[in-house]
Amino acid sequence: MKGAEFSLRPARVAWALLGAAFLLMAVGLCFVHSSTLGDTSTTMKQVIWFGVGLTAAVLLCFVDYHVLARWAWVGYWGSIVLLLAVMVFGVSRNGARRWIDLGPLQLQPSEFAKLAVLFALAQFLSRPIEELRLTNVVFKSMAIVLLPFMLILKEPDLGSSLVLLPMMLAMMFVAGVPASILAKIMGVGAVIGGLLVADVLFAPENWRLIKLKDYQRHRLMVYFGKDFVPANATPEQKAYYRELQRHKGWNVQQALISVGSGGLAGKGWRQGTQNTLGYLPRLGAHNDFIFSVIAEESGFIGSITVVGLYTVILFSGLMIAGQARDRLGRLIAVGVISLWFAHVFINVGMNIGLVPVTGIPLPLLSYGGSAAVCALLALGILQNVHLYRRSY
Amino acid sequence: MLIVDQLRRDDARLRVVAVVVLVGIAILTAGLWRLQVMAAGRYTRSEEAQSVRLVRVPAVRGKILDRNGFALAENRPSYDVNLYLEELRPSFVHEYTNRVLREARAQRESGKFTLAERLQLQEQARLNVYSNTIMTVSSGLGVPLSVSQDGFLRHYRQALALPLPIVDNLDSSQMALFFERCRGVPGIDLEVQAVRSYPFGRLAGHVLGHLQRSDEADNDPDLLIFRYRLKDYQGVAGVESKFDEALRGRAGVKALRVNSQGYRHEEWYLHPTELGRDVQLTIDVPIQLASERALSRIAGSATRGAVVVMDVRNGDLLALVSAPAFDPNSFLGRMSPEEFQELNDGKLRPQMNRAVSGAYAPGSIFKVIVGLAALEAGVMDPLESHEYLGYWPMGGRSPPIKDTAPAGFYDFKRAFKRSSNAYFIDHGIKVGRERIVAVAQQFGLGEKNGYPLGTEVRGFLPDAENLERLRARGDPWTEGDTALLSIGQGAVAVTPLQMAVMTAAVANGGKVLEPRLVLGIGGQGDEKPQSFAPQIRSEVGIQARHLQRVREAMLADVEEDEGTGREAALPGMRVCGKTGTAEVKQGRVLVDKITWFVAFAPFESPRYAVVVVVESGGSGGRTCAPVARQIFQAIQQREGAGRPPAEDQGTAAPRSASKPLPTPAGLYAGLAAGREVSP
Repeated sequence: MKGAEFSLRPARVAWALLGAAFLLMAVGLCFVHSSTLGDTSTTMKQVIWFGVGLTAAVLLCFVDYHVLARWAWVGYWGSIVLLLAVMVFGVSRNGARRWIDLGPLQLQPSEFAKLAVLFALAQFLSRPIEELRLTNVVFKSMAIVLLPFMLILKEPDLGSSLVLLPMMLAMMFVAGVPASILAKIMGVGAVIGGLLVADVLFAPENWRLIKLKDYQRHRLMVYFGKDFVPANATPEQKAYYRELQRHKGWNVQQALISVGSGGLAGKGWRQGTQNTLGYLPRLGAHNDFIFSVIAEESGFIGSITVVGLYTVILFSGLMIAGQARDRLGRLIAVGVISLWFAHVFINVGMNIGLVPVTGIPLPLLSYGGSAAVCALLALGILQNVHLYRRSY
Repeated sequence: MLIVDQLRRDDARLRVVAVVVLVGIAILTAGLWRLQVMAAGRYTRSEEAQSVRLVRVPAVRGKILDRNGFALAENRPSYDVNLYLEELRPSFVHEYTNRVLREARAQRESGKFTLAERLQLQEQARLNVYSNTIMTVSSGLGVPLSVSQDGFLRHYRQALALPLPIVDNLDSSQMALFFERCRGVPGIDLEVQAVRSYPFGRLAGHVLGHLQRSDEADNDPDLLIFRYRLKDYQGVAGVESKFDEALRGRAGVKALRVNSQGYRHEEWYLHPTELGRDVQLTIDVPIQLASERALSRIAGSATRGAVVVMDVRNGDLLALVSAPAFDPNSFLGRMSPEEFQELNDGKLRPQMNRAVSGAYAPGSIFKVIVGLAALEAGVMDPLESHEYLGYWPMGGRSPPIKDTAPAGFYDFKRAFKRSSNAYFIDHGIKVGRERIVAVAQQFGLGEKNGYPLGTEVRGFLPDAENLERLRARGDPWTEGDTALLSIGQGAVAVTPLQMAVMTAAVANGGKVLEPRLVLGIGGQGDEKPQSFAPQIRSEVGIQARHLQRVREAMLADVEEDEGTGREAALPGMRVCGKTGTAEVKQGRVLVDKITWFVAFAPFESPRYAVVVVVESGGSGGRTCAPVARQIFQAIQQREGAGRPPAEDQGTAAPRSASKPLPTPAGLYAGLAAGREVSP
């Protein structure tokens, strides 16, 4: 943005950010269309969601983020109420209770909760830097994240809850929480994570301290390549567990085959066989596994383009954070970047076998109303921080 | 780093975040590079392995034609009804959700089912749809079809991507019913397949051989890449076996892309099938037909015997008959137990080709050899008469050898036409075993003639080697053995084909021909047409006047008053022949008679050699000579109509008749009515 120094007025719109976002939306629509086997109504719904999201993002830009931040706690507790409401009134799909039925549309509060937590945390951390050394402030800021974390985990939606943690760490880090404290937090987290994995993989059934859902346990076992068959299984049990293992490993295996068989240049738009023939999970192909479809049909060239577009957005965001007027703006921008980065890394990583399978959407590419609107809102907030970076 | 540097220099923590993001992006990029560029081939193979099934599609077999271009073996279309399961998927789903699941729910209060129970119900739904479809087709076609649940489930598990055969081989009225009533039935479709067919049935069955379902792929590692192999056949006898490679063409490879459940999604050919090559035989259908009919008049389907008709100029086998015969068509489908029993009857032995695999005592037809040996050795003046007793007294305690010729004076010609045993024993003993065997060997006896389909036997001659074997067994050669050999009994056995080659050599002036059965193999694709030229194996070292003497004696046997072969006489064609009646004894009991007639015609310029042998016949003259006459009659009719058997054109490519061919039924009718069928 060197040009900004020479112009009379600084650039008000982050064009690179906007351009990349629009390209991603176009790619998203193309491949939602392809992965639903040309189901126009699904694609049109996504167009509408993009419209809603863009409108909301533009409206957001009319209000200075300082004004928005005053409402941060309202938003935070509102989303906590919604998350609690999901537990009571929520509708479940595939055994997970994540949606509130509003008649024509279904709301996924966890998506909105991410933004609410982001705002609340930014507001909380933008206090004088000295206070951030205080243990109770650190604990409070962690509590702000861990409350919705637990609620979302309970739905269960492991993926959506997990993305809150890198966001929290990044925001605390940039806010100025001493590195030693953060290192301790991460150390404790690593120990808990390690214990969890060890517990899942090696502990006998009745010793397990943490009761994970079966499918979550299986995903971890698949990821770590753990044999499903218990030590002293009868032949029938062996056959059962082998089949279970094949079944549980199926999605990962098929995603890898999709991505790998796409090769350098891909098979062509709507020419991918993995999705058409039902090898990729039908329910996931247009949301969690959409990257596999993109990679299969457009090859390495296509997938690297998508990763490139995300990189443009992430670094535009980092610049906005760097140029922000105050710590609040800076923290909001870092929150958005870390949230987006977590989504992209986990989702793409899961599609190429680097990360265990967790159900989180790929921003602007995956089909889904709440996710699309929230992704655009997040970009709107970034733009907002950019827009009001000067105090006049 | 450019992007990072643009961040404020003093903002170290933001720069750390930027580096973390950058590292993350780099990890993803590396992961993508590894999968999509480095391991792309491996994943493409896995993708194909799980979604592409290769199917081996056998090619349409080449035809087997007679010398005129009549198809002895061809392919007819078979109209089969198949069930395409991928088209039934909506029905499966509908049946499951609207019927099976609903009924199951009605019976259970909770309305909840485990996964296994659901799978069970889905299978039930598929079976319901399958049964309903079969019943619809069954009532539509008016054909009772059995619903094989196990068969369906097996097909569903193992070959889901392939169509499931429902009914084979619809006839024309069933076809009409199908189009009227079954066309809209989901998943049901009609498919045309080429099926081997032998339009003349049993005709020349032994030459054609037959096919068998081919299971060779089970042992052939090259074929393991095929998930499925469509029904293929392999020749296991006769021309079908010997020329299997040329006839079967090259199988094609079809690729099926299947979805994750195994249903067919699309299909395409990786290699198209290559049509098999046609094989043209020397066989002449009208003569073959006449020969079979003439032979079968003796005892109908219980006739055991053989006929060989050979062109004496080039060795072409115009007819090769072995009775009883089998119908090659019956090997294609499922054989009934009766058919199977009949094929393996120990006495009739229909699968044996008696014309080349039957070794019989020649009886008096061997006098042709003995006579020539005596003439060559100079121990016999053919014009000199000797008096004989009407039997041949053996020395010692052996009983005398009977004679059908009465006591009296015999010169060579009279002895030949009356088939005097005494005369030939007398001269045979003078010539001696060694010289008789030497002449027999010159005519190709005791050896295989080179019948191209194999299965030939050598017969038996008491040559030095065999003599040694007999001696070793404690059975030394005596003069009595030479006496028996002189009249074609005892230690001698010949095949009908050997007799045809011998008769042809007598007729053509001493050329021992290789029997030719195949004129050529047609070209196809890259394969060039191929032809087989006539071959002379050897020339006998017999003086021409001696051969002439025997030919005249053979003419006398048919044309003169006392001749045993008078029943072969045919106005308008001078037939020369020799009868034979060999007795098969166990100890001193007569158990069977082998009756023979060897002949050639016309006398002036010989062209056709005919050999007839009948097991358990009456006598050569009464049983076999009339058969030969009928065959010559058929030949005469063909020549009279200006249509002798097609000459070998010297071109290799089998000529498929361009004009419409007569149907087998028409040919039969025409021959029965004794007139030529115009092709």
